[in-house]
Amino acid sequence: MAKTILVIDDSASLRQVVKMALTGAGYNVIEAGDGKAALALLDGRQIAMAVCDVNMPVMNGIEFVKAAKQLPAYKFLPILMLTTESQEEKKEQGKAAGAKAWMVKPFAPTQLVNAVSKLCA
Amino acid sequence: MTSINETAAAVTPAQSLVDLCAGVLPVWARHLATSRSQSEAAVSEMMAAFASIGPHLGRAQQQSHQIDQVLGRQDGAFADLSQSCEKLLVPLLDAPLPPDGAASIQAALSLVRNAVESVSQLTLPVSEETCAVAEHVERMYIGFQYQDRISQMIALLEGDIARLQAVLGNSGADVPDLESWMSRLESQYAMSDQRASHNGDASGSEGGDAGDETTFF
Repeated sequence: MAKTILVIDDSASLRQVVKMALTGAGYNVIEAGDGKAALALLDGRQIAMAVCDVNMPVMNGIEFVKAAKQLPAYKFLPILMLTTESQEEKKEQGKAAGAKAWMVKPFAPTQLVNAVSKLCA
Repeated sequence: MTSINETAAAVTPAQSLVDLCAGVLPVWARHLATSRSQSEAAVSEMMAAFASIGPHLGRAQQQSHQIDQVLGRQDGAFADLSQSCEKLLVPLLDAPLPPDGAASIQAALSLVRNAVESVSQLTLPVSEETCAVAEHVERMYIGFQYQDRISQMIALLEGDIARLQAVLGNSGADVPDLESWMSRLESQYAMSDQRASHNGDASGSEGGDAGDETTFF
């Protein structure tokens, strides 16, 4: 059975790019446009990992990671931050919040699939 | 003592500038908003089109790969065919043979060798095409993502223009100094391209973030 990846990004076109890369590699993808909408999807369903943008309206990526880690069922959910942010300071914030990896956009699909495969293993 | 005319002459140019900006800035902001929405629409259209051809490309890639494997020069049956024929037929050359037997075996071996060589030459373009398609698909995925960067940059400018409009429209409030304004603007940058543009560093504003490695924590 295909693993489900939660993709969180306020850009619909970016979500589409991520979805195409991941579904092409055999993953199932569910989407959310911001952190709050993503939290609503953490309702007990089985999710292998999340791929999350940082700068988003309503609830940003760092806040989402912190909130997700508070949910017992998703405490160990691996989260990959996929963002245009390349500053070390931001990376440290992501790490401190509980993210497992940081990837800067634009990404190559093979780079994303390799990272997802590693984090889902 | 300053006359009314002198005061009017001193105030009018400044007020005119404020009026000018108050009129122009919303137009600039609307143009930026339109540009952003049109670039988003363009990429969405391209993505929708790519989504429909993507699976076909994927299948073509897969089939090319399978053909390449079947006809492969190293592990495929055709590569083995030549070796198997050599193994079976060459020892016969040492055995007693009917007239023209050796020549026939040599001819058969030659035909097999030529056939295998021809097939391996056929697989070469298939393999190269497969790699080329995969490379182009990868580049398209990367290219699509630049719209997201453009959109973020424009959204930031829209926000800053709106902020400037608010200052212009509130004549009673203190005008922020340039340094704090710039500092606030710079604090909102996410990309090294934005920081480079802000500082007028043209060398750093060419999508320099692309291809960064993944950092695992």
